[in-house]
Order: sequence, then structure tokens, then C-alpha cells
Amino acid sequence: MTEEQKEAKPKKRMTATKAAASIGPLVKEFITETLKARAEGKQKLAYTFIVCHHEEILRAMDVIPIWTENFAGVCGAKRDAERFLQRAESLGLSRSLCTYALCGIGFDQWREELGEMPPDSPWGGMARPDFMISSGQILCDPRSKWYQASQQFMPDVPIYNIDLPYPLFQRDQDHREVWGYYHKYIVKQLRGLVAFVEEQTKKKMDYDRLRELVDLSDRTWNLIDETYRLRKAVPCPMGTGDAMNTMVPICFMMATQRAYDFFVELKKELEEKIARGEGEVENEKYRLMWGGGLPAWYALNDFNYFNSKGASFPVETTYRMVAPLHEMDIPETKDPIEHLAWRWLGYWTFWYDKARKRPDSEPDVERLINWIEEYKIDGIVMHEAFSCRTWHVGLIWQLHQLGKIYKPIPLYVVGKDGKKEVVMKELPSLILESDIIDITSYSEVDTRNKIDAFIETLESYRLNRAY
Amino acid sequence: MKIDEVFSMIENQFNQYGSRARQLREEGRKVIGYICSFVPLEMITASGAIPFRVRGNIHEPITLGDTLLETIVCPYYRSCFDLSIKGRYEFLSGLVIPHACDSMVRSYSVWSYSLPYSYFHFVNVPTICEESSFEFFEEELKHFKRSLERLMDKSIEEEDLLKAIQLHNQNREKIRALYELRKSDPPLLSGTELMMTLTVGSGLPVDESNEWFDRVIKAVKGRDASPLSKGPRILIDGACIDHIELVKLVEELGGNVVADTICNGARDSFPKTEESGDPIRALSHRYLEKLNCPKTYRANKAGTFEGDIASRFGDIGAYAKEFRVDGAILYVYKYCDPFGFEVPARKAYYQLIRVPMLHLEDTYSAGNLGQLRTRIQAFLEMIGG
Repeated sequence: MTEEQKEAKPKKRMTATKAAASIGPLVKEFITETLKARAEGKQKLAYTFIVCHHEEILRAMDVIPIWTENFAGVCGAKRDAERFLQRAESLGLSRSLCTYALCGIGFDQWREELGEMPPDSPWGGMARPDFMISSGQILCDPRSKWYQASQQFMPDVPIYNIDLPYPLFQRDQDHREVWGYYHKYIVKQLRGLVAFVEEQTKKKMDYDRLRELVDLSDRTWNLIDETYRLRKAVPCPMGTGDAMNTMVPICFMMATQRAYDFFVELKKELEEKIARGEGEVENEKYRLMWGGGLPAWYALNDFNYFNSKGASFPVETTYRMVAPLHEMDIPETKDPIEHLAWRWLGYWTFWYDKARKRPDSEPDVERLINWIEEYKIDGIVMHEAFSCRTWHVGLIWQLHQLGKIYKPIPLYVVGKDGKKEVVMKELPSLILESDIIDITSYSEVDTRNKIDAFIETLESYRLNRAY
Repeated sequence: MKIDEVFSMIENQFNQYGSRARQLREEGRKVIGYICSFVPLEMITASGAIPFRVRGNIHEPITLGDTLLETIVCPYYRSCFDLSIKGRYEFLSGLVIPHACDSMVRSYSVWSYSLPYSYFHFVNVPTICEESSFEFFEEELKHFKRSLERLMDKSIEEEDLLKAIQLHNQNREKIRALYELRKSDPPLLSGTELMMTLTVGSGLPVDESNEWFDRVIKAVKGRDASPLSKGPRILIDGACIDHIELVKLVEELGGNVVADTICNGARDSFPKTEESGDPIRALSHRYLEKLNCPKTYRANKAGTFEGDIASRFGDIGAYAKEFRVDGAILYVYKYCDPFGFEVPARKAYYQLIRVPMLHLEDTYSAGNLGQLRTRIQAFLEMIGG
């Protein structure tokens, strides 16, 4: 086994904002805090997943979340995932499965076998949990399979699997027809989680505190939306490269004052940059949208490469985990659990009504169209990570459908009679291929050749644009 | 009907899969395609439409499908999509896709926007089995019922549902009877014959499927000898296997495929729906609780790993014992997260019940058969074939 072999350390990515630059130490800090808490044994630690709208419940009961996807991402970004992936493979798990999960299971198996952290674990390693909260959603299969597989190596650690469905978009059906019983079910699931955590912590839920934390999350949620909308400015003050850092408070720190304060600072920083006319790149030539896919965490430098060609990314669909609360058509309630359930449904169905209004549109496609217009986008970049079906199936079709129903670029072309004529064209797009953390799937040379060719297309569109 | 005649007709229908459904469509019936065992067929039958299981084809390269659907999708599912987009199932009036795996959920729009059917429906199956999930699923089934009623322009009465439940239960009893014919050593019914028969049945109205199963049962019972020579008795474990190549390979190499725990075989066909009580509630329990799919999370109530796997995979052990198997083949498609993550636990379970197991990861392509042959041959030799 090549367990001890590590990849060369990647070059540090240049960030456009101070806020993004502060994220690395922040992540290191909260991973270190989990290790400290484990050693002290005063607070319970729980493995869990992002995007479950349950942070408020955990924090209200003083449970420290261990974000297992985050730890796998850290291993990927530090180019130190391979030895854990190989561990998982040696157990019989295929490399074609979610590599976050493989990395986590490989790590768990190794830690449990040794009775201590594997040698040189990234940032000290991932602490052993007291319990695990998995999630069955119509979002991600590995979320209900990962901890079950890890439990083989720590059968004494209980799992609570919370089911969080949402109505899938169906063109001929109004989701409001069904969301009453969805809401009822989700509320029961969240109450079940409260009961489970109460049992594990031997504490009762303080509902006043929960209400305060839900309110804090809501305010942070709205603040994130306001902050990110500032990126509509030309030139764009902050790109997707930075957003892959600022996703940390969104995904791992919601329901904390620190997350709120982080976005207060970021908003201020962006406002100042806008006032100074300062963009992510010095001479912004192309404005791109990261239209889908998780990033290759070991290759975030590719964003700098785009920047070096004059391309900025004012918006991304990935990790934009909020939508304006006041625009959500969800009932008001004083019960924090009921509110969490409505917010969950509101978030997932946010684009449904708009999509229904445009012929042949669909929520993911509709979001692309809206943001192309709002953020003045010239081209779309997506990333296909081979090991993740959750976020990476349907991307090809979304681009196909977008091109079919939306052709916003007036281009001069030479017609049959040799005269110049204006033709409406779809936005140029690029799909990069590799993985979230499996570096063996990535070629820097091929990726950059693809980026070069894409930039040439953008330039050709820029030069031949009719108006 | 003589046995050769019966199997010649079965083989013909297997090769011309969908021909009867096409004919019925031409006669004015509505045929509703479905993918995966989680779609409550009784509901479609009760509506007056014909449920039709959409199949892939391992011999046909995926071409047009790859222009719209990523290659990281389950290869079996990609093949189904490829055939659909090529118009192979143009006789369908609609398609129902359940929440079974990410490949299905995340590509729902790809199917529903790319295919010319007027009816699409997504059945949101919960991932856990507890009181609140049954309540939710019952509401979801009522929603599905309303959607079919709109399509068929008729209401589905309780009586219709009960009748459909009885018909589908009869179908499952007949499938059980077909499996009984594999208990002798060597089995009276070969695995290849069974796979063809089951696949043909999944493309017919349930009453016609019942008639065909009766014909096969009668003909096989009249057989003097097994079509196979005695060999290691093999159980096939995995997801949906709608082709015969894997089983044929095992049998060509001297094995006898006598049991399975696959979606379109024993695992999802044996469980019946309760015929008493509220039919919607009965359906919710059959499809959510009784179908032992890895997609459904089942809590570890034992508190030990051994106890957990004994509970989750107990059906494998029971069939291994009942059909006296000598070895098992765990056949998992590449990119299948629900099954893929269970491989270490399933391996441990086979060790626990002392059944030798061969794990194969496949890409649902005839191009892989050579490789599979070598590995299966070595396995059969190892277990004494």
C-alpha cells in the first residue's frame, strides 16, 4: 500500500478578498476544536452532512457537528486523500462511488484499527463521533449509506437517519398541491431528531434558544443573499474561487454569530471594493457563471488561471445555499421546527413558479437564465466530478435545454450570400471533467488546454457581437 | 403446449420485448412505462392502463443517450434511457420513475423533457421505515392515484385496487412457483429460462403474464430431466438484471443458477400485498417495508455489526438455505451508490453464513463478458465446479 505517499503540496490560490483568505485558518480552527472537545469529553460530537437545515437543533443542544464532507474536502485540497481512498478500495468499495464518502470510510476504518489518528492526519484528523446523523433525501444516496458503512468499524456509535424529502419539479403539477404532507413529514422527522439528540445528550431542548438560533440563521441567510448580490457589480469584486472559501460559513457555521459577523465583514469589503471600482481581475473581459458541479478541491488554482485570462466569475450555482426568504411563499409560524421545515421546502421549490412560466424551462435552467441576465454573464463553466451523481447528473442536459430555449447573444455571421447578418446564439459553455478529491482523475495540462480553447471562443463572440 | 414450443415463444417475446405492449397500444390501450420495483404496479393496473417495465440492452452501445445524460449514471439506467430516446418504447403513453437512487432522481428532468410521452410521474418513496414515513408514503400514493385518474379520465375505486392487488399477488405466487422448480438438483428450470420468463412477464398485462407463467410451470413440471448437468448451485445477488448473459455464462461454465436476491427476481417479487384492510396502506407497507432495497435505510437495532447485517441481509441467508446454494455472485453496476456502499457489509455477511462469494462490478455491456467469464470460471473451479 502506498498509504504514506502524499502528493506535492499545491500552490496557494490567490484570493480577491480578505474574507476568503481568512477561511483556511478558520477551518483549521474548527477541526482543532472538535479534537479538543473529544479530548475533554464535555460536549457530544456528531458526524453529519451539510444542507440539512438542522444546525440550529444541534447548536441549541451544544452538540458539536463534525462535517464529514468538509474533512474529505480538506484532504482533497491538501492533496492527501489518496491513501484514504485506497483504504476504502481495499475494503471492497469501488472508486466510482462518492469519493468524499470513500475518504471518510477509509479514514474511519484506519483510525478505528489503530485506536488513534492515522499518521500525519490532515489538520490532526477527524474526531471519533458520539453519534452520527445521516440523511435520506432525494438529493444524495451516499448520505444514507456512508455512516452505515462506517458503522461497520464503530458499531457502538448510533445513527439517526433523518428523512428530508421535497417535491420534485413536475411541469404539470403545482408543488403546493402536495407540500402540506411534505411539511407534516419533515416536521415529524425534525422532532424525531430532537428526541434522539435529547436522548444522546441527556438534556432537554431549550426551545427559546432554538428560536433565537433559527432567527440568527434566517438573518445570516438574508445577509448572505444581499452580500452575494453585490457581485453583480462591473467589474465583479469577488469570484467563484473566493466563494469556494466563503462557502465555509454557509455550510459549516450557520446558526453562529461568527457566521453572521463574517458576512457583515464580507459585505463591507465588497462595498468598499465596488466604491473603488476594484474587480476580481484587473481588466475584466469576460464574466462567467460556474453553472454546476462541485469544484476539484485540489485544483482551485484553475480559478486563478481563468482570472489570468481576464475572466471573472460573479456567480455560481454551487454552494449558493440561500434564496431570499421574503420572496419565499412559505407560511409564517412561531414554531421554530415548523419554520425549519417550511424553509427547507421554500429553498428547494424557489424556482418552480418561475420555471413554469417560461415554455420548456425547468428550475435549474431557469436559475441559469435569471442569473445570466442579472449578472451579465458571457459564458458558463461546469465541472463534472465523476464520483458524484448528486450534483453532477443533469448538467449536460441543462446546457442542452438552455441552448434550446435561450439564445441571448446577437452575433454577426457571414450568410449564404456572403453578406453579414445577425444571428442569435446561445452562450458558450465549457464542461471540465475530473473529481472532487480524487486527483488521479485530473490533468492540469488538459484542463488548461480546454480553458484556453474556451477563452478563444469567448473572445471570438466578443469581437463579433452585433450589439 | 410442448415445452420446446413454450420456451421458443418465450424466447421470441424476450427478443421482441415490447411487441405485445405495442399491439395493445394499437388496440387503444394505454401502456405506462416504469423503472425500478418501487413503482406500485397495482395502481397502474387498477387505473386500466398496462404497466410495462422499461428494459435496457447490454448488446446495444449507448450512443444517443450519452448526448444528454452523463456517463457517471448507472450504466443499466443509461441503457434504458438510450433505448427510450431512440424511440424503442414509442408505444408508451407515459413513464413513472420512483425515488430509488440518485441516477433516477437527478435525471428525472432529462427523461421528462426529452421523451415525447404526455404523462410523467415521480413517486417519492421515503428512505426510512417508520410510522411517519408510512403516513407520508400513503399520501404520496394517493397523489399518484389522482394523477393516474386524470390521465385515464376515470376514478380508481377501492374495488379496482383490491382486484389489481389480487392479480399482482397471483403473479407473485406464480413467480414463487417458478422458483420452486429450481429446488431439485440439478434444477428442472434453468436460470436462463427463468430470467427470460420473468423479463417477458414484466412487459405484459398482469393477467397475460399470469397465463404465461402457468404455461411455463405446467410445461416444466412435465419435464423428464433438467436442461442442466449437476453443478455448483449459485445465488445471484444485486440490482436489476434484465439480461440473460450473466446467468447464461454461469450455466455455460457448469454452474446452476438456482436462486437470487435481485430487483426483478425473488427479492422484490416474492413479497405480497396484504389483501385485507385499506389497500393504500397495504401498498405503502409492501413497497416501503417489504422490498429489501439498499436504498431504504434500516436502523441497526441489534447494536452490533453482526446483528445488523443478519437483519439487513437475512433474506439472502434464508434463500441460500432454502435453495441449498454452494456459492453466490454479487453483481453490482459501476456507479451504483446504494449497492456499492454495501459491498463490505455484504462480503462480511456471506462470510458469516459461510457461503463463498464472488463480487463483480460491471458496466452493463456485452464488451465485458469475456472478463466476467474468466472470473466466474475461476470462482466455480474454486468452489468445486
